[in-house]
Amino acid sequence: MLFFGMPIEVLALFFPLFGALITGFFGRKLGDRASQLITCGFMLALSVVAVMQFKNVALDGNNSSYVLATWIQSGDLRANWSVMWDTLTAIMVGVVAIVSTCVHIYSVGYMSHDKCQPRFMCYLSLFTFFMLMLVTGDNLIQMFFGWEGVGLASYLLINFWFEKESANNASIKAFLVNRVGDFGFALGIFGCFMLFGSVEFSAIFDQAKNFVGKDIHFLGMTLSALDTVCLLLFVGAMGKSAQLLLHTWLPDAMEGPTPVSALIHAATMVTAGVFMTARLSPLFEYAPVALMAITILGALTSIVAATIGLTQFDIKRVIAYSTMSQLGYMFFAAGVSAYSASIFHLMTHAFFKALLFLGAGSVIHALSGEQDMRKMGGIWKVIPTTYVLMWIGSLALAGIGIPGIYGFAGFYSKDAILEATYAAHSGVGEFAYWMGIAAAFMTAFYSWRLIMMTFHGTHQGDHHVLDHAHESPPVMLIPLFVLATGALAAGLVFFDYFTEKEAMERFWREALLVLESHPAMENMHHVPEWVKLAPLGAAISGIVLAVLFYGPWKGVPAAIARAFGPVYTLVYNKYFFDEIYNFIFVKGAKVLGRFLFQFGDNKVIDGLGPDGISALSKTAAAQVSKLQTGYIYHYAFAVVIGLVAFLIWMGRS
Amino acid sequence: MSSELIQTYFPVFVFLLLAIGMSGVMIGLSFLLAKQKPDAEKLSPYECGFDPFSDARHKFDVRFYLVSILFIIFDLEIAFLFPWAVSLGAIGMFGFWSMMVFLGVLTIGFIYEWRKGALEWE
Amino acid sequence: MEMTSLYPVASEIFLACAGMLLLLWGATAGEKSTGAITVATGIAFIIAIFMAGHYETAKAVVMGGHVGSNAYVLFIKVLLLLSALASLVLSQHFLKSSKLSRPEYPVLVLFATLGMMLMVSAESLLGLYMGLELQSLTLYVLAAFRRDNAKSSESGLKYFVLGALASGLLLYGISLIYGGSGTILFGMLHEVVTADKPPVELVLGFVFILAAMAFKISAVPFHMWTPDVYEGAPTPVTAFFAAAPKLAGIALLIKLLYGPFHGLLAQSTPIILVLSVASMTLGAFAAIAQSNIKRMMAYSSIGHVGFALVGLVAGGQEGVQATLLYLLIYLPMTLGAFGIILSLRRDGVYLEQISDLAGLSKTRPALAAIMTVFMFSMMGIPPLAGFFSKFYVFLAVVEARYVWLAVLGVCLSVVGAYYYLRIIKIMYFDKQMEGFQRVPGWGVASLLGVTVLFILTLAVKPDWALSITHDAAKALIG
Repeated sequence: MLFFGMPIEVLALFFPLFGALITGFFGRKLGDRASQLITCGFMLALSVVAVMQFKNVALDGNNSSYVLATWIQSGDLRANWSVMWDTLTAIMVGVVAIVSTCVHIYSVGYMSHDKCQPRFMCYLSLFTFFMLMLVTGDNLIQMFFGWEGVGLASYLLINFWFEKESANNASIKAFLVNRVGDFGFALGIFGCFMLFGSVEFSAIFDQAKNFVGKDIHFLGMTLSALDTVCLLLFVGAMGKSAQLLLHTWLPDAMEGPTPVSALIHAATMVTAGVFMTARLSPLFEYAPVALMAITILGALTSIVAATIGLTQFDIKRVIAYSTMSQLGYMFFAAGVSAYSASIFHLMTHAFFKALLFLGAGSVIHALSGEQDMRKMGGIWKVIPTTYVLMWIGSLALAGIGIPGIYGFAGFYSKDAILEATYAAHSGVGEFAYWMGIAAAFMTAFYSWRLIMMTFHGTHQGDHHVLDHAHESPPVMLIPLFVLATGALAAGLVFFDYFTEKEAMERFWREALLVLESHPAMENMHHVPEWVKLAPLGAAISGIVLAVLFYGPWKGVPAAIARAFGPVYTLVYNKYFFDEIYNFIFVKGAKVLGRFLFQFGDNKVIDGLGPDGISALSKTAAAQVSKLQTGYIYHYAFAVVIGLVAFLIWMGRS
Repeated sequence: MSSELIQTYFPVFVFLLLAIGMSGVMIGLSFLLAKQKPDAEKLSPYECGFDPFSDARHKFDVRFYLVSILFIIFDLEIAFLFPWAVSLGAIGMFGFWSMMVFLGVLTIGFIYEWRKGALEWE
Repeated sequence: MEMTSLYPVASEIFLACAGMLLLLWGATAGEKSTGAITVATGIAFIIAIFMAGHYETAKAVVMGGHVGSNAYVLFIKVLLLLSALASLVLSQHFLKSSKLSRPEYPVLVLFATLGMMLMVSAESLLGLYMGLELQSLTLYVLAAFRRDNAKSSESGLKYFVLGALASGLLLYGISLIYGGSGTILFGMLHEVVTADKPPVELVLGFVFILAAMAFKISAVPFHMWTPDVYEGAPTPVTAFFAAAPKLAGIALLIKLLYGPFHGLLAQSTPIILVLSVASMTLGAFAAIAQSNIKRMMAYSSIGHVGFALVGLVAGGQEGVQATLLYLLIYLPMTLGAFGIILSLRRDGVYLEQISDLAGLSKTRPALAAIMTVFMFSMMGIPPLAGFFSKFYVFLAVVEARYVWLAVLGVCLSVVGAYYYLRIIKIMYFDKQMEGFQRVPGWGVASLLGVTVLFILTLAVKPDWALSITHDAAKALIG
């Protein structure tokens, strides 16, 4: 069936854009309610199509591709604007559509007191559109378009409350840090074009194996061509997915409204990097060094973020570090070629992390904007639904389940990752596995620390706030139920498709490429029993410990913090990444900038350039005007001087 | 070369001698023969009726100049007419009509100045 | 003698006769006939254009070798007649409201135009001198046309005295040349000059003529009279000054350089270069300090002459074509800008200060918009015609390997842009002055329409302009 000459699954991708354009341009005239109805309506329609497409493409195997237009055609460079439907796309579109729809609906309640609701809905829809463009492209340029677009939407949404200085700073920080990553991504695209003469996935993938062992020469260095390109692309992924070194923006991004944190900074945009490695798996597979780097960095990210998460008090920041940690999982899974497990976790994580964020949002909403967990406590009776939903989310995050019978979403995906990592039988794999186990313990610990501090005990904050506390309206709770369903069931339902060999082959088909020499996924079912049980054990012990520490043994956390004073300070201050970056880059850039501005620009360029010349011009003009005395003999004198000069010139020969 | 130069400019030299001689004779004769009655006004150079050694910024009658300028035009016309009249036989009807056109143009100018009242003293 | 032998100067003869008749008519009928005589003069111009187009296309030299015609001369003559017509249209309302409505005005414009036409069709130094003097004398009178106004009289007197000096130089140069070559006919001069070693008095005589021409086109350093005369003369006269005599002067200069004095072209190109650079520079800088818009336009015209001369520095058919194209575009631009100046009146007084333009965009948005087009075009902003004119002269000069001159020219255009932009800024962003009087007159309005249309559309269809300038340049050089 065609609509406006497009199949519905193509047209549907533009629904969010329509919503964004309508509310963006006419939002004020339409009013809050109409804007919400329009954007949510479009999103619901998109979700229906997305679910149908998931069945059609991923389950029934009807891949398709549709070229909308030739976007760039310049010499050899050719990029289409196209929609490519394969299993990976279908999963991503499904996740994006469902989570985004939930967040849209949730926002109707959450933002009900805001004065710029159409703008918010517009940005959300705009973001969704860019995200869809990112995941449906069949070439790097379109992916980059979506990549930059979601960056823009992220910037706009972090800074949604632009009166807040901290929001301004956070948005600028997010934008700038992402710029570093995007620069790497762009260089990676250039590299691809240089090597393969194309930016289209199919062309790149066809040629990738021919470049194994090829070198490129740059500044006198000899570099492995594929590894270099893949590492550059991974730098882009690091920025967008907040991997260690380029992660500092993510916690600050929590300045944005909570639905934004749920949608962009937990479920979708930050997973774009993971999506990229999976999408480019036919390229990364031939770049062993890059894969190793991804594994190590992912593992480090997961553990570092988890440790920081242990010490934070802002409820959203705890979840943010948790997100960063889980992204680390996804990356080290990709690093050992367990792309399937990685995407599996991406999907389940999207549900339960969005659930957690939105649940946290519900808590914040209930407590009139309070975000500090030290000022919470004992509110589980006040908001019991939220409390239950948070439990579900946390259980899914911690990866709790009864092996062989049932588990929350995270139980399946996280175990799959850890098993695959172990099964990779490589040094970095082993390292990642143990980091992952440690992180799993901490994940469980800080999750229940959050639950205990927020819901149990006695209320620590202002009692007026508690008096006003109320359960969220249905418009906020219904999306939470949807997400909770995902957190409860996504793992169980999709487990086979993502891990079981034959189901995987039918499910993924050509979407992912794993070389025979990277058998992590195949071997994951044959790991020792303790490997399978270790994550669960770590998680349960984490939960128990957290409940004890923040229940009966109240003094212990403080005592531990005292005992490990310097370490605690280090972790509490997020390993001083911000301070170090501030010192090196921000201060350095400021010093350099001040020099360039005050000396380079003001003195040299302006002084000799525009200002100097214009001052000179004015002086010259005044001087020249003075020549014009009005006396006729002066004029005649000028004529005579000119004449004599010319006579001398012509008569000289 | 020098003899050639002398030959070429010899007539000029003759004219020069004649001019000097004539003016010398005229001044000398008047000095010898005329009655000498010196007077301050008489000795002052002729300057269209003005005192030559006074402030330059004073009123004068422009009509005087107007008439003399108009006179000069017709004076020059006469200067053209002389050679024309002499060579009329050689230049034929074309020459005749050329001069008629010239005179016609001058006449138009004359009519204009007349109509504009440039010739009326008052 | 056959009548056909006068065909190459048919339009001049016609204009001369018409002028004399109109003069008689004016003298007899008095001031009330001014309107009719103005119209008649305009008709005479139009008839002259058709006569020129009909009779003067062939290449010929007549009247004892003193005047002649060819496609180049024809091109210039038609442009001159059109400019004269335009300036008559511009003067229409101004003269009436300034109580200057006298029948002499159109007749003087006619004779000045006739003089310019004779200048460019001259084929001997005598014909040249006659045309130039006829032009100059009438222009002196026109400058002082507002006799009861001190500034106007002053400007006329200054122009006269300095013009007499220039005429003296010209005559002295002519006499030197005659002395050195024994001829005043261009054809014969050409042979003498291209001989192995032309006599030195001939070379010096040519420099005198060059200086006189530079004075006429107000190229620096012979420009000093220009600002004072432009400011003092009645505005329509200034418009006329800025258009026709410049064209005639440059056209004659080109004709001399590529006709009788072709042998001295290489030697005198540095002089043209100096004139060009000095004019561009002074035009760009000096205009910045002006507060009177007519003075500003004077410096602007000096600058434009400098730019036009750039094409002559490049030389050759392309260079000359570029200069002709520059003039072709310069004329409507300037006349249009003066049209705007002549449309601004408050309390019966025509405005002359740049600051008077403040807020024009609010009170007379159409005028402001048109002025903006002219200013942008004078700056040389694409896609307006002014861009093309600059583009072609710079292109020619780059091809002639004077890249630095093109670079300098572009830089000076940027400096010059300052004062054009200032006008736009004042019109659009400065605080509004009280309203302007509506100046009636379909004449000025239609002139503005035509010129602005020309400026805007030349970019779309430049081929005709390129082709006529190409033909004209080819007729002279090719």
